[in-house]
Amino acid sequence: MGAHFFGFTDRSYYYSHSVGRNEFAGTGLRHPVAMAIAPDGWVYIANRSYEHRSDGVHMTIMTLDEEYISEFGAYGEADGDFIWPTSVAIDSKGDVYVSDEWLNRITKYNRDGEFLSKWGTTGSGDGELNGPSGLAFDSSDNLVIVDSGNNRVQKLTADGKFISKFGSAGTGDGQFNLPWGIAVDKNDYIYIADWRNDRVQVFTSDGEWQQSFGSTGSGVGEFNRPNGIAVDGDGDIFVTDWGNNRLEVFAPDGRYITHLIGDGTLSKWGRDKLASNPDMILQRNLAYTINPHHEKSFGHPCAVKIDPQGRICVLDNNRGRIQVYGKDNVPVLH
Amino acid sequence: MPDQDIALVAHLLRRAGFGASRDEIEAKAAQGYDSVVQDLLNPEAQPPVDIDLLMRYYPSYYQAAAIETNIQQGVFTMINTPRQLQEKMALFWHMIFCAGHSKIDSGQEMGRMIAMFREHGMGSFRDLLYRLSTNPGMMYYLDNTESHKANLNENYGRELLELFSIGVGMDEGFNYSEDDVKACARSFTGWNVAPPYPPFPHGRSPWNFRFDPADHDETDKTFLGETGNWDGDDIIDIVCKQPGTARFIARHLYNFFVADEPQIPAWRLTPPRDRAAIEILEKAYFDSGYQIGAMLEALFTSDFFKDESVRYAKVKNPAEMVVGLLRMVDEHREIKPGLFEISLEPRYMGMDLMNPPTVEGWHTGREWIDSGTLVERINFASDILGNTELPGVQSLVNRLMAGGDTLSPQQFVEGCLDLTGPLVVTDDTRNQLVSHAAKEGELKHGSDSERGEFTRRTGEMFQMIAATAEFQFG
Repeated sequence: MGAHFFGFTDRSYYYSHSVGRNEFAGTGLRHPVAMAIAPDGWVYIANRSYEHRSDGVHMTIMTLDEEYISEFGAYGEADGDFIWPTSVAIDSKGDVYVSDEWLNRITKYNRDGEFLSKWGTTGSGDGELNGPSGLAFDSSDNLVIVDSGNNRVQKLTADGKFISKFGSAGTGDGQFNLPWGIAVDKNDYIYIADWRNDRVQVFTSDGEWQQSFGSTGSGVGEFNRPNGIAVDGDGDIFVTDWGNNRLEVFAPDGRYITHLIGDGTLSKWGRDKLASNPDMILQRNLAYTINPHHEKSFGHPCAVKIDPQGRICVLDNNRGRIQVYGKDNVPVLH
Repeated sequence: MPDQDIALVAHLLRRAGFGASRDEIEAKAAQGYDSVVQDLLNPEAQPPVDIDLLMRYYPSYYQAAAIETNIQQGVFTMINTPRQLQEKMALFWHMIFCAGHSKIDSGQEMGRMIAMFREHGMGSFRDLLYRLSTNPGMMYYLDNTESHKANLNENYGRELLELFSIGVGMDEGFNYSEDDVKACARSFTGWNVAPPYPPFPHGRSPWNFRFDPADHDETDKTFLGETGNWDGDDIIDIVCKQPGTARFIARHLYNFFVADEPQIPAWRLTPPRDRAAIEILEKAYFDSGYQIGAMLEALFTSDFFKDESVRYAKVKNPAEMVVGLLRMVDEHREIKPGLFEISLEPRYMGMDLMNPPTVEGWHTGREWIDSGTLVERINFASDILGNTELPGVQSLVNRLMAGGDTLSPQQFVEGCLDLTGPLVVTDDTRNQLVSHAAKEGELKHGSDSERGEFTRRTGEMFQMIAATAEFQFG
């Protein structure tokens, strides 16, 4: 029997498992918007929750094997708290940084989530912030910040001292319209999800524009408000296409590889929830929906990260979970 | 610009929308009344609320599961949509086609129902009734999911006639019989809802209407004098051509947009407050083939709507009170924290949005006011208008200052009333306000200290105006 191959043949993606469930505390996630994964496998997740359920606004620490570690931070303006947590990054020492796009501040915690320091001044001057919505560290432990409301990217020291900036409002090369997510690859190239321009832009570490790809739409390589972005060890680029409820995958040169729409299965904690609610088991077994993929599909995915094993982890905002995918470079039967 | 133009356009924007800032009122008055009416009647010509932007900062609004988030999104839309009449009509239908979260227990389905009113509320009434009758939330709320060929539940059939279309009666007669109710309910058997996913662990799925032909009564029914093997679609056709339906919708529109009528149960025996106005609206209903937009155009271009006697002749409902104040001072016109607290205010004033007390809805007019709700209304209005640190309030203060280097107490009060409406008050109210203002004499703003005093006194005067009986009307 003949096999037919089109497009890329040296890599493929498979669904592994899901982690988490919709819940306001403990093992649950509630409208998670950002995450970072430490080398030891601890995953730090920012839960935005509902405004009327501010008890759900906190950071969760867990592993991708569904080991619950702890939670930290709360809704508020006190040290260590936040109003609108939006992004998370981890420095080379393992300290954790969370941006707050309402308070315009960055808060630093240790590995266990204990408050260490905070900084940030509202404004548009050098080092000032207006809606910091994406954080990433480069290889020199400098913090690269998507300063969304100012339509620019700033590079600062980890304690907030200004180093450089690039970008302005607009649609041209190197310009932004409310950018959101960020990734920095092993060569310190900076990838920005240019949210309202429906594209990804790539820059050198010095902010020199390299390439853009994507345009508005739902077709191949198009975006409807891209927000999260990650680059794996091979240089492949993963973008959460928020409004299209999918993850798009691109080769390092921006060529389209594929997209994933979600394959979610019951997580261990999700199964525990159902096990104690027979009515929900029955309802789930009876469920009929026009979209038979409902429970599997992404619901406004907000972030994507690569874990230490090279797995692709998609933060599934509306479903309160992470969907974990693997990548094969040779044929493997899963 | 003539004051009468300002007053008329302000009246239009309060009724056909949720009010406006003074700047916007003046801009619309300059545009011209008829042109503004056309803009209101053609919402697609205006941009909608940027829902993507809202969901970016409030991620929980996507397929919003919680009732609170749906209410917040609704209130934000009322405040910010350029399509003001469209949103007012969404509220109008929500107050007639009443279904509530207390039973439906799915915020997402309440939100979807309001979205349906928003999208289709100014189109064909026939189309709207069909969408209502296939709305899964409504099917569940009024027990049509429990109505079967072999075991009839009349609830939806009855309310469709009594509260959603024809009304019990008019001109002292009755519009339908108990047999018509049964025939109606039989026609809707099999109109049901497909089972959705549960809320846990990963979120509900949207509910979907599902027709089950095996559960539908296929026998002949006699409904309002017509006999056939009717289904719900046929019933809606028959309902829409009834004079009673034209009367019922016309009275609702008049009650909502023009002047308070008695409560609905009294409509069979109590004639319309303005029969000629109702006849104009009824004619528009039939002439247009049941188009709500045509009725609205007839209403807003009529003399009875523009007449000064109907201005401030309606008690503001709580949504109008809350949203109108926020729009007046340009608060929450951008996305920021605090929508939850704002969205609770109508509830405190007796209007639990997306959760009406019964299928009959809220009693309107003076029944919005009791000792508890009046305190809430006054406190909220005073807190907003008296907060001179709000940019929108400061803008009103600046406008007053622009009226002259020195303002007499009389001029000061007239200016404040003008900027908070223009509000029409009785002589007695005006005299009390002037008397209060006169205690501290004339107002100046030449120095920093005088500007501070001017600002303080304006905030106080706004608070006094917010506490007047007249401010409860819109």
